[in-house]
Amino acid sequence: MSENSLLQVKDLSVSIDNELPILHNINLDIKPGETHVLMGPNGAGKSTLGFTLMGNPHYCVTEGNILFEGQDITDISADKRAKAGMFLSFQNPYEVPGISLGSFIRNAYHNQTGEPVKLLAFKKSLKAAMDILSMDESYADRDLNVGFSGGEKKKAEILQLLMLKPKFAILDETDSGLDVDAVRTVSKGIEEYQKKKDGALLIITHSTKILESLHVDYTHVLVKGNIVHTGDGSLVDEINANGFERFVKED
Amino acid sequence: MSNDLNMKVNVLPVLTYNFLHVNDSTLQISDFNIQELNSPSAKELPAGVTVEKAVPFAEAGEIFRENNDRILAPIDGHVEPNGDTSARDKDQALRTGMGADVDGLMTSLGATVDIYTVEEGVKADKPIVISYDMKNGDASLSGQIIHAKKNSEVTVVIAYTSDNDASGFVGVSTRLFAEDGAKINLVKTQLLGEGFVHFDDIGGACLSDGKIDLVTLELGGCKTLTGAYVNLAEKESVFTSNMGYLVRGDHDLDINYVADHRGKKAQGLMQFKGVLMDNASKTFRGTIDFKKGSSGSVGDEQEDALLLSEDVINKTMPVILCQEEDVEGRHGATIGELGEDLLFYMQTRGIDEATAKKIMIKARLDSVAGLIPDPEIKQKTLYYIQNIV
Amino acid sequence: MADTNNKQVVADIDRSLYDFKDVESEKDFYRMAEGLTEETVLKVSEEKNDPEWMRDFRLECLKLYNDIKVPDWGPSIEGLDMDKISSYVRHKSDMKGKWEDVPEDIKNTFERLGIPQAERESLAGVGAQYDSELVYHNVKDEVAAQGVIYTDLESALRGEYADMIKSHFMKLVPPTDHKFAALHGAVWSGGSFVYVPKGVKVDIPLQSYFRLNAAGAGQFEHTLIIVDEGADLHFIEGCSAPKYNVANLHAGCVELYVGKNARLRYSTIENWSKNMYNLNTKRAIVEENGIMEWVSGSFGSHTSYLYPMTILKGAGSKMEFTGITFAGKGQNLDTGAKVVHQGERTSSVINTKSISKDGGIGTYRSSVIIQKSAKKAKASVSCDSLMLDSISRADTIPGMDIRTNDADVGHEAKIGRISDEAIFYLMSRGISEEDAKAMIVSGFANPVSKELPLEYAVEMNNLIKLEMSGNG
Repeated sequence: MSENSLLQVKDLSVSIDNELPILHNINLDIKPGETHVLMGPNGAGKSTLGFTLMGNPHYCVTEGNILFEGQDITDISADKRAKAGMFLSFQNPYEVPGISLGSFIRNAYHNQTGEPVKLLAFKKSLKAAMDILSMDESYADRDLNVGFSGGEKKKAEILQLLMLKPKFAILDETDSGLDVDAVRTVSKGIEEYQKKKDGALLIITHSTKILESLHVDYTHVLVKGNIVHTGDGSLVDEINANGFERFVKED
Repeated sequence: MSNDLNMKVNVLPVLTYNFLHVNDSTLQISDFNIQELNSPSAKELPAGVTVEKAVPFAEAGEIFRENNDRILAPIDGHVEPNGDTSARDKDQALRTGMGADVDGLMTSLGATVDIYTVEEGVKADKPIVISYDMKNGDASLSGQIIHAKKNSEVTVVIAYTSDNDASGFVGVSTRLFAEDGAKINLVKTQLLGEGFVHFDDIGGACLSDGKIDLVTLELGGCKTLTGAYVNLAEKESVFTSNMGYLVRGDHDLDINYVADHRGKKAQGLMQFKGVLMDNASKTFRGTIDFKKGSSGSVGDEQEDALLLSEDVINKTMPVILCQEEDVEGRHGATIGELGEDLLFYMQTRGIDEATAKKIMIKARLDSVAGLIPDPEIKQKTLYYIQNIV
Repeated sequence: MADTNNKQVVADIDRSLYDFKDVESEKDFYRMAEGLTEETVLKVSEEKNDPEWMRDFRLECLKLYNDIKVPDWGPSIEGLDMDKISSYVRHKSDMKGKWEDVPEDIKNTFERLGIPQAERESLAGVGAQYDSELVYHNVKDEVAAQGVIYTDLESALRGEYADMIKSHFMKLVPPTDHKFAALHGAVWSGGSFVYVPKGVKVDIPLQSYFRLNAAGAGQFEHTLIIVDEGADLHFIEGCSAPKYNVANLHAGCVELYVGKNARLRYSTIENWSKNMYNLNTKRAIVEENGIMEWVSGSFGSHTSYLYPMTILKGAGSKMEFTGITFAGKGQNLDTGAKVVHQGERTSSVINTKSISKDGGIGTYRSSVIIQKSAKKAKASVSCDSLMLDSISRADTIPGMDIRTNDADVGHEAKIGRISDEAIFYLMSRGISEEDAKAMIVSGFANPVSKELPLEYAVEMNNLIKLEMSGNG
């Protein structure tokens, strides 16, 4: 409950379409500049937490609440959360034929800031961000995610992270299905985000590949909808070595 | 004969339940005093293309009749599907999407046709651009034939424009003949004012390896009927079609597209993307017909209709007819609001629902408008879309 | 009969299972004169000892029949001449409640069809109709003790449930609906009435079996099923007939009322002989959160018009239709489904498979209507056709009419053939080409057969093998 919390999750329980709850009593406190990692075996509810924090209407908060910069955002829509400074990188981003990646980002940027976008300056910063992610400039003119490979889709998500500069970003399985080179490029993008801003991160992952080059402050282990353990960055290494067995047993 | 005709058009190739009211549509044009019976001329003609102006409608069809032994080569052992309606169009020089009653109207009112001929082997270096710039109160009835001889290629762009608040009538018949190895790209963009009644009747025939590519945008007008019947007469002929539409207010759009596969390894690929708003209504009929002998053919038809108001009426009739074992036919339709998941994705980027809808309307239409080759007309179309969104 | 060893294998499934005929000796049977006139209708009414309202209803239906035109969209029914069809044929003995009492010749027929055995082994009750009348009706004691009524419609019309019948009979399928609904109303005879009281769940299926044995006759049975609130029933309908060279007509009518939170599964394996005009009408109406499930296999008939319809009236009601149609030589089977979404959050799933062979015409025809009131409705249609040669037809004619934006409608249709690779793969494992094809077709039909109780799934697979062998 400290003064400078960015995101606070208090006793949060969540269910889908009013079925049995998937998340139980989740508590999190994320401060500006911190990087949190959420790990856990498949089906633990990791993505559910990501979607819930961002306000996906499929997920119902049955108990508890979510505060962002001290404001209760439990009931507000996803676009308002985004405008407040939140971001979610999707595991499977949508393909939208007819709208280019570049103009989509411009649209989003304009919607969030309400300011007119200066075209030249925008193009310049887009190019800079694409360079970091080793993305060919031509991707800006391609239809959003249409025909993108798995790696290209993830890069396009990180590109949006860099361009929209949220205060807090949730990265949902950003490393899944990527080869070694692509993981490296994507973590470079994430490092860039950590470096530039006072931005906070919640990285959802079930592997540790992406975390190798990133600074991690806290690690949470989610098993069957409960956070069963919270530790510092070194917990990542332990899980890397021993898997989740210890925590599953604890449960 | 007067123009007080109650025309039955866009007849479904096979009839179905009457309670669906999709078997055909009617067109009343008695309200219009049709003064213009000639097609506007092309701005300029590419080298290797000639035009014969103002040929009477019936006479103009001769080119198809001469080639009927190839276009409509008899099919041994053909069995009619239940509810078959082909008999009513059997006297057309070339079967069209809207059907025989349009031929009757053209002939009885004395409408004329401009015949464009592309010489053998010529790849036209620029598009033929025909602009129907309509004034308030104008009423026009006319047609074109595009005849691409062996191994030639040509692009034809036809634009219909008027002031936004203008009313009137434009009826157009466009018939296409792609001989062996020839390719015709036909682009039609309809940006008429809110009081316009418009019909577009398209017929096409492809001989061996002939191709017809259609790009159509139906964005304006209060009542629009459009039909296309493409005869894939011989082997490896191809028909591709991309339509984008937007229907607003209490406007109505009525579509009847048919790919008639007769040749071997013929391809028919049709896509329809559109948006319905306000009290708008739309009827879509799309038929893939695999005739006996069309072995190795592929037919695919996809419809994607975005419904943005609770008062819209959307009717969809996707038909596949088949009397050939060795074919692949597919049809898919997605009809409904903006998907919740897509909307959520947009929202996570800070885009609210209203803006997300605008983006999606524009995305759909722009993706079709982007296919227009003429830069000026493309710009005009994109601008029109920008303004209505 | 079969000319190769290969074919011998499949020919073992004996078409005579359905195609035997017992000669109806004139002295045991009453057969009404052919043709359809006011006189014949009154005669049927008299035979049936109708209440007055029913007699008047029949006459009204006859007028409608004469006024309504034959549909212009379906298969031709030119070969059907009502002047050559007898609307009413019955055995001179009455309906029995015990097998022993059923007349010997009829009993033999049903024995050969395996009906008594099925009753003993796997059914909660059985009704057996022979030509125009039920000859046998029985329901297990424990099911009857739950208050389940399963009886012939005529006795129900005069008994305790008379008012219930009057308020439901041909209300869902009004005689004005189409020409053959009017015909049915005029000359209907036989059929079953089922009432499952509130909250009663019938664990094992009830079955009605329809046999049309007479040549040049019509069968017009009426099935009325009311599944009350929270109740649950599986009803199975089987039909067969021997083949004659003259046209026979089946214009039955099925009306199903599914109450709030109730569930009804209605399964049919139709194997009418290939001189049959099957112009059947089936319709269900579903109240709040009720569930209607159709499983429909169409194998027989010369010509079929069959589109079971579901009205999803109550909020949250659901419908699932699983169907297969196999159109072989000389057959024109026009089948499909209709659904009308009225209530909020209603959902429908239509899944059909159609197979065309030896010049058969198989048409899938459907309509999905989503009314403005059906907010948040979901509808999905998937229809696959398989062409086994290039003299047959497989046509897909689905229609959709959507009047709310707040609906989610998906449609998929595919047409294709058995891939050569698949046949080659099976043949490389030592399976004959014919058997390989039959296996692949059975696999194609699997989504339907797995919805059926085991013994019916076996029957369906036998029918597929029979059709594949060309002996169907």
